Amino acid sequence: MMPEDALRAARAAAAQRSDALEQGLRIEPTERVSIELLMEWATIEPDPDLMRSTRKLGAPITWAKRQLVHVLRQYLRELQSQQTRFNLNLLIRLAELEDRVARLEERVK
Amino acid sequence: MNVHQVLSGAGPHDAVTTQALAFRALFRAWGWGGRDVAAEIDPRVGNCVAPLRALAPLQRDVLLIHYSAYAPKLRGVLQMPQRKLLISHNITPARWFWDHDPQAGVVCALGRKQLPEFAAAVDVAAGVSRYNARELGSDVVIPILFDPAQLGAAREREPPQPPVVLFVGRLAPHKRQDAVVRAFELFRRRHASDARLVLVGAPINMRYEQAMRALADELSPGHVTIESSLTREQLAERYRSAHAFLCLSEHEGFCIPLLEAFHFGVPVIARAVGGVPEVAGDAALLLAPDDDESVVAELLALAVSDRQLRDVLRERAAARVAAYAPEPTARKLRDALQSLGA
Repeated sequence: MMPEDALRAARAAAAQRSDALEQGLRIEPTERVSIELLMEWATIEPDPDLMRSTRKLGAPITWAKRQLVHVLRQYLRELQSQQTRFNLNLLIRLAELEDRVARLEERVK
Repeated sequence: MNVHQVLSGAGPHDAVTTQALAFRALFRAWGWGGRDVAAEIDPRVGNCVAPLRALAPLQRDVLLIHYSAYAPKLRGVLQMPQRKLLISHNITPARWFWDHDPQAGVVCALGRKQLPEFAAAVDVAAGVSRYNARELGSDVVIPILFDPAQLGAAREREPPQPPVVLFVGRLAPHKRQDAVVRAFELFRRRHASDARLVLVGAPINMRYEQAMRALADELSPGHVTIESSLTREQLAERYRSAHAFLCLSEHEGFCIPLLEAFHFGVPVIARAVGGVPEVAGDAALLLAPDDDESVVAELLALAVSDRQLRDVLRERAAARVAAYAPEPTARKLRDALQSLGA
């Protein structure tokens, strides 16, 4: 078969099948971030497992970094909560403004 | 003559760093001096790339900026009086990263936003493909310097069964390894129950790697291998033992692994996005946007088993590798730099 014919043949063969895989993770781009998703992201919760070192002999460095995070946990929690407080309040204000704009647009119509 | 290369970031398995080091080898061969610096350097890179603060060009030197990520520290380079060539290596749209690596999302979003400012501030802006160059509003293309000799010899005979499907590329959302796993599993169920899939590429983060491993274990347990940090010899061996190369990436500025697969005579199936059609030409089976995983599975079956199809693709692949031979690329690079006074 020539390459120019292969795609047509594959499409015809696929049309005879009905065994598509539905389960499992399917990656999709985030085209428009909804206010609900923004709310989710606004809550700062970094995963401690992501703390690691890519250097040679990174394992002990990773261990040391994680110990440091553990030791500083009270301070880091404070930072996270302050940032989250700001993020959430800003989003609530944004959501209120969106509602207000929508109501005003409705009134103009 | 001195040409200094400025990188947004330097990493050990990073295509842009590899490219900059290959350029440096050329500059040395041409008798040119200069040094390579980066705004961010992975410790594994070693001493071949210096920190940005080490950049101290003379008035007549030329700066070659490799633009591949947001790097606010590079703004200072734009203010320097030396003549500048910018090569854009393309930045993935942030929408692919928001859910999986927010930091990468931010870097990509800002990087794409900053690119026009950089392109306007240099003397010549070039892309590694026409697709990349168009994004800059430029028609200057300096392709990736691809030297097949460094990969080792292509295979002399067909690899033994069972079929092996290969993809090489960063384990990242826009590369769509999830779709590769899905299409492979359909192919395996329908045509070759003992087939194997090999995914080679460094993950963007541990969580994403775990998600991909979990998907592979759920859909195709025991048939998928995920590897990274391979040596050049190991990578060459993966290509030599592959029956088909499957790229379902949703965004590619150039896609070097296509040329690598061509060099090793591996039939290529790829989604026709970004710079892929330009690089692949007629040597790959290119998918339309609405071709689903079922179509891909059937194409895999043909690419693995149809002798004539494999032979024709291999012949055409050799022509694509010849089209991207290092000599003409080196000439384009030299011409662009000499036009700036190097």
